Amino acid sequence: MRFVVGIDIGGTFTDFSVVDDRGRIVLWKEPTTAREPARGVREGLEHLAQAQGLALQEFLSRIDLFVHGSTIATNTVIQRNGPKTALLCTEGFRDVIYFRDGYKPERFNLNMAPPVDFVPRHLRLPVRERIDYKGDITTALDEDSVIEAAKTLAREQVRAVAVALLWSVINPVHENRVKAILERELPGVPVVLSCDVLPAIREWERTCAALLSAYILPGISQYMQELENFLRANGLQRHVLFIQLNGGSSTIDKVLRKPIYALASGPAAGPAAALFCARREEVSDLIAIDMGGTSFEVCLISGGAPTLSKRMRVHEMPVGVAAVDVHSIGAGGGSIAWIDRGGALQVGPLSAGADPGPACYAQGGKRPTVTDANLVLGYINPDFFLGGRRRVEPDLSREVITEQIARPLGFDAAEAAEGIFRIVNHNMVNAIRAVSIERGIDPRGYTLVVGGGAGAIHATTLASELGIRKILIPRYAGVFCSYGMVVSDVRHDHLKTLACNSETLDLDDLNDLFAELETRARAELSEEGFAASNIKLARFADAKYPNQIHELTVPVPSGHRLTQKDIREIKESFHALHERMFTYCVRESPVDFFHWGVTGTGRIRAVDGHELPRGPRSPARALKAKRDVYLGNTRGYVSTPTYDGARITHGMSIVGPAVIEQENTTVMLFAEQILRVNKFGDYVIQL
Amino acid sequence: MDRKVLKQLKFAKPKPSKRRMPARSVQGLTPSRRPRKLTEAFDPVTFSVLLNRFKAIAKEMTLTLEYTAWTSILALAQDFSCAIFDNQARQVCMADALPIHTNSMHVVIEEIARVFADNIADGDVIVCNDPYSGNTHVGDVVTACPVFYRGKHLFWSATKGHQLDIGSYIPTSVPATAKDVWQEGLTIPPIKFYERGKPREDVIRLYLANLRYRDWLYGDLMAQLGSIWTGRKRLLELVEQYGPDQTMSYVDAILDHADRRMRDEIRSMPKGEYIGETWIDSDGQGNTDVYVRATVRIGNDRVEVDYTGSAPQTAGAGNASNGVLQAAAGAPVLCCIDPAIPHNDGCLRHIVGKAPKGTVCNATYPASTALATIVPGDPMQDAVWKALAQAVPERVSAGYGRVHCEPVLSGIDKRDGRNSDWGCMLFNGAAGGGASPVGDGWPVIGTIAALGGLRILSIEMLELLHPLAVERMEIEPNSMGHGKNVGGPGVNIVIRPDGEPMECHLFGDGASNPPHGVLGGTPGIGGGNYKENRTTGKRTFCSAKGHLTINPDEVWVGISSGGGGYGDPLEREPGRVRDDACGGIIDLETAREIYGVILDPDTFAIDEAATAHARTQIAAHRGALPLVTPNQPSAATWLEQHKRPEDLYVLDPQ
Repeated sequence: MRFVVGIDIGGTFTDFSVVDDRGRIVLWKEPTTAREPARGVREGLEHLAQAQGLALQEFLSRIDLFVHGSTIATNTVIQRNGPKTALLCTEGFRDVIYFRDGYKPERFNLNMAPPVDFVPRHLRLPVRERIDYKGDITTALDEDSVIEAAKTLAREQVRAVAVALLWSVINPVHENRVKAILERELPGVPVVLSCDVLPAIREWERTCAALLSAYILPGISQYMQELENFLRANGLQRHVLFIQLNGGSSTIDKVLRKPIYALASGPAAGPAAALFCARREEVSDLIAIDMGGTSFEVCLISGGAPTLSKRMRVHEMPVGVAAVDVHSIGAGGGSIAWIDRGGALQVGPLSAGADPGPACYAQGGKRPTVTDANLVLGYINPDFFLGGRRRVEPDLSREVITEQIARPLGFDAAEAAEGIFRIVNHNMVNAIRAVSIERGIDPRGYTLVVGGGAGAIHATTLASELGIRKILIPRYAGVFCSYGMVVSDVRHDHLKTLACNSETLDLDDLNDLFAELETRARAELSEEGFAASNIKLARFADAKYPNQIHELTVPVPSGHRLTQKDIREIKESFHALHERMFTYCVRESPVDFFHWGVTGTGRIRAVDGHELPRGPRSPARALKAKRDVYLGNTRGYVSTPTYDGARITHGMSIVGPAVIEQENTTVMLFAEQILRVNKFGDYVIQL
Repeated sequence: MDRKVLKQLKFAKPKPSKRRMPARSVQGLTPSRRPRKLTEAFDPVTFSVLLNRFKAIAKEMTLTLEYTAWTSILALAQDFSCAIFDNQARQVCMADALPIHTNSMHVVIEEIARVFADNIADGDVIVCNDPYSGNTHVGDVVTACPVFYRGKHLFWSATKGHQLDIGSYIPTSVPATAKDVWQEGLTIPPIKFYERGKPREDVIRLYLANLRYRDWLYGDLMAQLGSIWTGRKRLLELVEQYGPDQTMSYVDAILDHADRRMRDEIRSMPKGEYIGETWIDSDGQGNTDVYVRATVRIGNDRVEVDYTGSAPQTAGAGNASNGVLQAAAGAPVLCCIDPAIPHNDGCLRHIVGKAPKGTVCNATYPASTALATIVPGDPMQDAVWKALAQAVPERVSAGYGRVHCEPVLSGIDKRDGRNSDWGCMLFNGAAGGGASPVGDGWPVIGTIAALGGLRILSIEMLELLHPLAVERMEIEPNSMGHGKNVGGPGVNIVIRPDGEPMECHLFGDGASNPPHGVLGGTPGIGGGNYKENRTTGKRTFCSAKGHLTINPDEVWVGISSGGGGYGDPLEREPGRVRDDACGGIIDLETAREIYGVILDPDTFAIDEAATAHARTQIAAHRGALPLVTPNQPSAATWLEQHKRPEDLYVLDPQ
């Protein structure tokens, strides 16, 4: 038996998906250990090995592909709780990050304050040097100016440094030398170079990428290295692959050299999971949501393809690389409910996380959360939380909600809990509107695909508020992103710059370039364990009209040495793409090329595609019990049937109100909502 | 969209709207505003979807233009705007790009509709840059196409893009020294570039034959056409989906909704008459401090901005067209209302700009209006801001810096075997934005005309595209107005030509008339520019308009003003003053003298007791704080502080 493993470290839970070579899948959830993220992973893996009847060593040695993602980097940036970071820049240009691109997003909003810089001005220090656009040194690096800066940084006890000098993308010699000096002068302080992180022209984007990388790096490097060392020491034969913000993956070693790619890492796998299940339900327009303990992610997918956005920003800073277009807000089971100074009930964005967690965990959490509200409302079964693995105390939930919310607002506990439920729903509805209605897309024709441990409790309410008529809840909803990791192919991009023109380019140069990139791409995937037959290579190029400034990416014929005929074909596909995207092209013009690239894809084995036999329509077999569930202010608590998710089979149909309890998630079905089970065991709800 | 909108909708019964006559003065055409019959009740979700769909279309038009343009002024700086109009030339939606464009585009579209009347067909493209046909200034080229669905004209898809060149007698599309329309360049009254889907190649050749850098500007023209065609394509998809009748009835609902919300906003302002005054540095012909006066009358449901009393039109290029008059009156008012109100015809119809013909704010043919969007556009807006500060001080910002370090650079590129003309409009030296009641101002805000809608160029892109090297681009310390909230700081920028001489054409204003402070906030420094010879040290200072040649052994230096301050400087938290001082944005003396904050010169620690004492002392020894300052011409301080006796100063050099 061999395995593919996906592990997603979220803010609250660490999710595991394991697929064996017969396509069977095993899921697991472990609380995230925020101060020591590798520990939760170790404990989960030990459990999974045990469940397979294997020693950990044996289990790890049988893993063919180990894919990992985490939201640690994102949370550091969003909560701005990273280390004290400094920036070294070319003398005369220390305000690059402050000037930004001079653009104010909301022109008419006078009350919009300028973004707060990640590095205050006194920690943006100049280095005397200059390189010109050709890469020639016009002012040699003044090493004393670096040493002087290092002294200031030492005095200020800076814990990470980004270096972003002009034109380092063409000639990195000064950045490299600055790094060497800083490593000597500031031992133990990580130094990130802009030429390593984002080797692209335009200093603002490159500086931001370097700065965010430096800000993230200390928080991720330690746990990642610990994790990899532990796994390799205990028998893992493969590299750990890390899911990046563009949906592709990379080794830990490479991610730590380009930490910006670790942003939004876990959620980037969500759309893949949603699409995998949507395809077999023959749905191609979908809104994928994922509600975990800390955050809520939403991604709109039209026509079966998720989009990559090159304009991803964090706190108005460009990330500079294309990212899966996932919109994120702070709303999850752990989101804390509070009353603001104006007396209004608010939920999130602060989360109780896994430690201390919601009040009901009895781990010292003293603040009411969404999970506490759901317990009070009867939506969650206190005896079956995480399949009964975690004891929860509804009395503690009731107590904190009563004290902190109900009493100040003059409600009873149930009304207050329902208030929390409604407000967190409202926040999520707004997030879904932001990617649909606010982009002029009517969500009512879309299917809501639901992931995350908390997602299915809220999904039916979200859908009815938005007028969405169909909901798809994959069987693996509770561990959505880790599932996305084991069902997506592994992808790496390899890039090289060769500026040339369609009329004058040298075919030999180009063929040499592709030969090199393809050798690299193939070697990387085969080192990761992919057989030659499962490796697919595709070429592409960034092209533009000679006087044009922005580029488009076009496919390049693959699999053979390029000829003049191929160049004509690339040119034609550029014109056609330009026309399709922008309504016109300039067919008589030659075409300029800048970057050339190869995408290497390692195809993974099919997962769990077998169809389940059709069983009875009646869910009676799965009926567990009845319990009191709060069905709104007018009906109050109503005795409602609950069903055992493990005993629900293909063909069953359940009419709400009802609660379906699975080990990793709970589905809340309200009156008149009908749930059926498809042949893959996924739930489909029609509203 | 926010809940408030939906709530309003719920209570708004679908009924034929009561339409007033258009509030603004329109030359020529008053389109018929017969109410359309509404076919069905409005579904609030469809309403939101369509409201946002128009926005998304305008945004896609914007991206198309940006991504496909061939010069940096459009592709990188984004000196253009896109908008959608209905078949009555009412603005349905604009991308909030440059307020000076988007608040005036209806004027030129109305004129285009009037000129061609029924003589428009599917596939036509109409181009116009004539400031006397409703356009802003000659450098802005408008492209518009009517959108037909099954033979019926429903919409206009339109862009306005600032060209790098328009064939003026000097290499800039904003020639500060032009004396009449013929020196400005090529004037294009509304004319068809495409007829029924076919390009009029002779006309396009005529256009390009008149321009410098025509190989590049051909690409820019195509980008502007691609943008309006993208708008047409998406509008047709929308009509196909919702049907023409339902779509147009929702257009009415969208305009009515903005109309209602705008009316409520105006009713929340104190009625009355408020006056603001300012001065233009010079007219480009050596005459300084040209007077601009705005009387803002807030009525029951409309705001009238009357420039009566301003100076007669000047002999130079800084005179306003009607387009600029309407935009300059409207943009500041839109900044004082809820920014969520859509800026469409329903909203804009509540604001009127007026000025007697033959004045600097409303020029008579053939006076030049080549700088109109900036001069007098920026001071005209500034005067409205000052008037509004009296009416609604809690809703205005302090003064924004005007354009005085944003030259058009040009020359010959001989690098690497090239031998080609080059030109670049550079916004990197932009002044700072004004402080607001709730926060500090933004830096490099472009112009008042753009309010932050222009982008500066990456230093690397600039050096890659053009034969020049940027030696410095940093905050100019102490350049902003002080206050409880401070203006965005100005910029100190130094540029050296690479090998060949570089022509530097300045076209702005506000170096000697700085951005104003509000409610005790102080003005910015003004600023200026000069060239310096690296060998001899000789410096030649230049006014905000005029021409300098920068030789290879010289550098051009621009110091722009920070924005005005808002509120009493003594109310600024000492911790923020310390941060500014520690970062070198203000000096210790400023912290002490203006803010009364006493800091340790080494550690920047605040001396609490000394600070409390200093603040009491300052408060006791100063008079009443002015609501708005300055109120006199040439109030800037930078030039006199920085010009040495041996330095030369030239005013409006030709």
